[in-house]
Amino acid sequence: MTVLNTSREGRVQEIMTTQTVSQWVERRNNDRRFREHVTAMHHIPASQGSYAPFPDWVQPRLKEVLLGRGIKVLYTHQAQAMNIIRSGRDVVLVTPTASGKTLCYNLPVLQHILEKPETRALYLFPTKALAQDQMHEIHGLIGELKADIRTFTYDGDTPDEARQSIRKQGHVVVTNPDMLHTGIMPHHTKWQKLFANLQYVVVDELHVYRGVFGSHLTNVFRRLKRICRFYGTDPIFICCSATVANPKEHAENLLERPVELIDKSGAPSAEKTFILYNPPIINRELGIRQSAITPARKIAADLIANQIQTIMFTTSRLNVEVLTKYLKDTFRGRTPVNDRFVSGYRGGYLPNLRREIEKGLRDREVMGVVSTNALELGIDIGDMEACIMAGYPGSIASTWQQAGRAGRRMGHSLALLIARSTPIDQFIVENPEFFFSRSPEHCRVNPDNLLILLHHIKSAAFELPFERGELFGGEELEELLGYLEEKGVLHRVDQRWHWSAQSYPADEVSLRCVNPENIVVIDTTETGAPNVIAEVDWDSAFTTVYEGAIYMVESQQYHVDTLDLERRKAYVRKVDGDYYTDAMTYTNVRVIDDFDETLHGRIIVEHGEVEVVRKVVGYKKIKFYTSENVGYGDVTLPQKDMHTTSYWFTIPWDLLNTLPIRREEIIDGLKGLAHALHHIAAVLLMADIRDIDRAIGDKSGQWYVRHGRDSRVILTAPDGEDAGSEVMVDAYDPTIFIFDAYPGGIGFSNLLFEQHTGLVASATALINSCGCEHGCPMCVGPVLEAGPSAKDAARLILSLFDVP
Amino acid sequence: MKVKDRLRRLTGERIETPGSPPDKEVITELRKKIQAILERSPVGSTPKDARYTGGSVRLEQVITGEEVRTPQGMFFFSRTVFTDTTYHGIMRIGDFPRIGMDSLGILAKNPVISLHEPCHALFLDTETTGLSGGTGTFPFLVGLGWFEGDHFITCQLFARDFSEEKALLSFLQELSSDKKFLVTFNGKAYDLPLLASRYILNRLEDPFLGKEHLDLLHPCRRLLGHRLENTRLATLESSILGLNRRGDIPGFEIPQRYFDWLRRRDGRLMEDVFEHNRIDVISMAAITKHLSDLLDGSLATQSVPGVDLFCVARLHLERGNTDASRSLLEGLLCSPDTGVAKQARETLSLLHKKAGRWNEAVVIWEKMLEDDVLDIFASVELAKWCEHRVSDYDRAIQLVSRVLEQHPFLSEELQWSLEYRLRRLLRRTLRKHPTEGS
Repeated sequence: MTVLNTSREGRVQEIMTTQTVSQWVERRNNDRRFREHVTAMHHIPASQGSYAPFPDWVQPRLKEVLLGRGIKVLYTHQAQAMNIIRSGRDVVLVTPTASGKTLCYNLPVLQHILEKPETRALYLFPTKALAQDQMHEIHGLIGELKADIRTFTYDGDTPDEARQSIRKQGHVVVTNPDMLHTGIMPHHTKWQKLFANLQYVVVDELHVYRGVFGSHLTNVFRRLKRICRFYGTDPIFICCSATVANPKEHAENLLERPVELIDKSGAPSAEKTFILYNPPIINRELGIRQSAITPARKIAADLIANQIQTIMFTTSRLNVEVLTKYLKDTFRGRTPVNDRFVSGYRGGYLPNLRREIEKGLRDREVMGVVSTNALELGIDIGDMEACIMAGYPGSIASTWQQAGRAGRRMGHSLALLIARSTPIDQFIVENPEFFFSRSPEHCRVNPDNLLILLHHIKSAAFELPFERGELFGGEELEELLGYLEEKGVLHRVDQRWHWSAQSYPADEVSLRCVNPENIVVIDTTETGAPNVIAEVDWDSAFTTVYEGAIYMVESQQYHVDTLDLERRKAYVRKVDGDYYTDAMTYTNVRVIDDFDETLHGRIIVEHGEVEVVRKVVGYKKIKFYTSENVGYGDVTLPQKDMHTTSYWFTIPWDLLNTLPIRREEIIDGLKGLAHALHHIAAVLLMADIRDIDRAIGDKSGQWYVRHGRDSRVILTAPDGEDAGSEVMVDAYDPTIFIFDAYPGGIGFSNLLFEQHTGLVASATALINSCGCEHGCPMCVGPVLEAGPSAKDAARLILSLFDVP
Repeated sequence: MKVKDRLRRLTGERIETPGSPPDKEVITELRKKIQAILERSPVGSTPKDARYTGGSVRLEQVITGEEVRTPQGMFFFSRTVFTDTTYHGIMRIGDFPRIGMDSLGILAKNPVISLHEPCHALFLDTETTGLSGGTGTFPFLVGLGWFEGDHFITCQLFARDFSEEKALLSFLQELSSDKKFLVTFNGKAYDLPLLASRYILNRLEDPFLGKEHLDLLHPCRRLLGHRLENTRLATLESSILGLNRRGDIPGFEIPQRYFDWLRRRDGRLMEDVFEHNRIDVISMAAITKHLSDLLDGSLATQSVPGVDLFCVARLHLERGNTDASRSLLEGLLCSPDTGVAKQARETLSLLHKKAGRWNEAVVIWEKMLEDDVLDIFASVELAKWCEHRVSDYDRAIQLVSRVLEQHPFLSEELQWSLEYRLRRLLRRTLRKHPTEGS
């Protein structure tokens, strides 16, 4: 296709030949240098839609509005969902982006309000941006309906003046779980109208509520249902989830009652090509690859030059700006385009600007847009033709969500994932079958984690006194109430437990993070003008702002002078040194209770409860660029003890001793293997790498592995002395632990135990497919840490898993 | 293992980590104390419960009152009569019932209130288990007050435990049924929403819903706030009522007192809470009387700061009572408080101007210039009058340019507007006398 590109003067300025997506894909497919970095090129053919008529209960005026929008008929999954909702059952919808899921709930909700104007509905979205987008969507429908239906968002930004009328008049209240938890339920009497008429609760992005967040949300729902019971209502829950391995199970875990699953989309889908791209290695020894931004920029520039409208996702807001700038620079000199030809688009941009960019996208004046993640995106962004993801978005589910931003309705579209130099990115692109087959990602929650449960029992008691015989959660409620009574926060009289403290318990817990307490980092370089430069969460403070550490913010180095844990402050001052610091920590795990055990070959696999002791013992000073170790320092911080749940397996020495390597190498290999397993486990659990942790030792805690001063792995006894004694080490078989990093556990260990075989197979694939020579951060860990023989040793150890 | 033991193990190991409830509570406690120290006048406040080491004392032994039995259960009820000859600070109880109802209507911005009688007023104040609000905050003591003849009655309804709430609330429904309007101090934002919430929780009808309500906090801010460091009840008591509480329990200690009471059932713990609440209720009545007098003009003028009267005048003006406002302002024109006098002149002159009483207005402006030849307000107003009403451009130019040339502190904005006015005036004179232009 040839396009004449004319300037304002009407003079033919440039003639260029542009390609369609199909042509572009074909050209790239034949381009040997491009193919070299492609680990998979997956074609998904177009599919036909399947349709169903509107259910007969839909009011004519509602139908008219939809007809006016060009919706003449429903997709089968929409009709199915609407009928389930209408019949009063809970439902979870798992359908791809742009399959019209919002209509699945908006239609029954609006219908019900039209029939019974006092009906109320609550919509929950994990982010404010999504909530705002939903507002636009439903406002549009209501506007066309010309009905007196009020919809409001209620979040931290809602002005005080507006709150009262929202409480009384809002038919549909759009909010987030955090606000429901701290702002709505503890004041439920002010929301009497809502709770007394609550018919529907819509929960979008259900898969986001997993781990700690999901465990909290289950309890938030327990409280919500309890308040509804007080007002005599029992709302229907309508959930939407991205594709994960266990959507029905997950919805049922969150709601604690049966939920119908709809996962067959009736929406037609267009042809799509999905490419996994691994940038070239630039340092083979360290296994470091080119930054994902570099190929992203080149490929995007090429697509855009071909008039292919492209959306790019990066993993940080900084990268949004960097990539936008690069691309703007690329096009600025070339064609007479306006400054919005390539635009950034993320939360934090003003609404006007966002609307302007959205319009530009629809008018094709904006041909490239760079964003952080799909959850920040508006719905009204139009149909892009190509999507480039610079960096794995963190889960397969969100990768598909982002990819779905391109080619939402018609025509051939392209999705391209570019890996970064992280183990998870590398594993995904190097193991395409893992990515393209049925979702391996599981959502797990543990709402009965005692600490989480206890927080919500407090909040629930604040909302309504507990009565004898009431049920809340899976633990013995009366015992927990008794515990709180002993602590003086509950008071029992006449078989009821009343909140009897001055505090507001919902404020004591954040639903999203493990420990809401942060350490404030204060720059004292200028005397008399201390300046807060950062906040570090409690747990990472121990490894980042210990006294003597070099703390870095935007490449400025600060020396930590004092860490005041009591006042939660770290005092730092600017320095200009040639080294950074790396904390030396040890982790010791002791098994307390063994829940289950199986034998895989000669390897014993178990899960259960453990005690974890962690301590920062010192730090290394490491020179920039050369990575030389130039000194040590001691750290005196309290050790952290934690009870949690863990999955572990034990490899007997007599089996390990059959390998043609020395004991030190075996330990190196185990350590490398644990590194790989830790990362793969995070993939299966859709967890952040910090949500789980790893350790190597023996089950009784008699010895464990840690870094020595020379960076090599050594064996240590719990009292801190190096375990020189061969005899002692021989007496216990080495065990690799992967444990929940949250006290009490969050339900991950049980799943890892069940998925042991897959986990080991994936770790094997990760190590085998890694392009490095002797180990790198992407497989068994950096050579300096893991030891020069770690990679080979890990492979040898993995071969033992097949020994019968 | 038992749940409790598991929990202890989980929390026990978190000793070093922050955020465990006790830690947080200590901090909020500390904050509250600091706050209270900053706000309170230094009264000897040795923790009273330090004395309560012996056996517990029954409530009836320290507080005059009795158990009330209702079909909904029991609660504790205390009634006190304050006879007309009693003094509350400098105020005599017997004077309280002589309240101007019209003034109350103005204060409440609700004319319906003026239709009632002083004896229809129900003064109300609650003591609660926390200040955070929300359904978990429990009003355990409800203090009420009303006039009976020349006497003032206080009634206190006390829930000795959470289980007595329903009886208390239903009794409160009955007690309040023959009262026509409420008087509170910050009740609109605090006490009433809290009670409304408790009525919902107990599935009872809220007797205060839709009842006329005078919340004293807002008029106090309007009329007295400008000269006090704050408008807390205690501040108003000491500066307006001449009342200094001695040994009063600080408000922030009250919730903990109640929790201690729940555990120990020692009447002495509640003694000063009752006292505190009772004084609050009487003070509300006293302040109502004071505000009403202030509005009526029935206070001896020399005893009232001019600035209060000026605020009253402004309130009248806002409510459309121009005559009342005008006479107050006229009285303030020569106030010894020069700031007040100037504000009064400005306001009154504008009042005249708006009513078309130009002569009266001009007299005030001229008087203002006599006192201060550079007075901006008067110069500008007079210049406007000269320009638009009497076409005396020369006088107008003289007024404006004098300020521009001689006034030492002109804001940029003011300077700009004066220059703008001056330019326009010069153009007009040019048009009028084209030959004289230079």
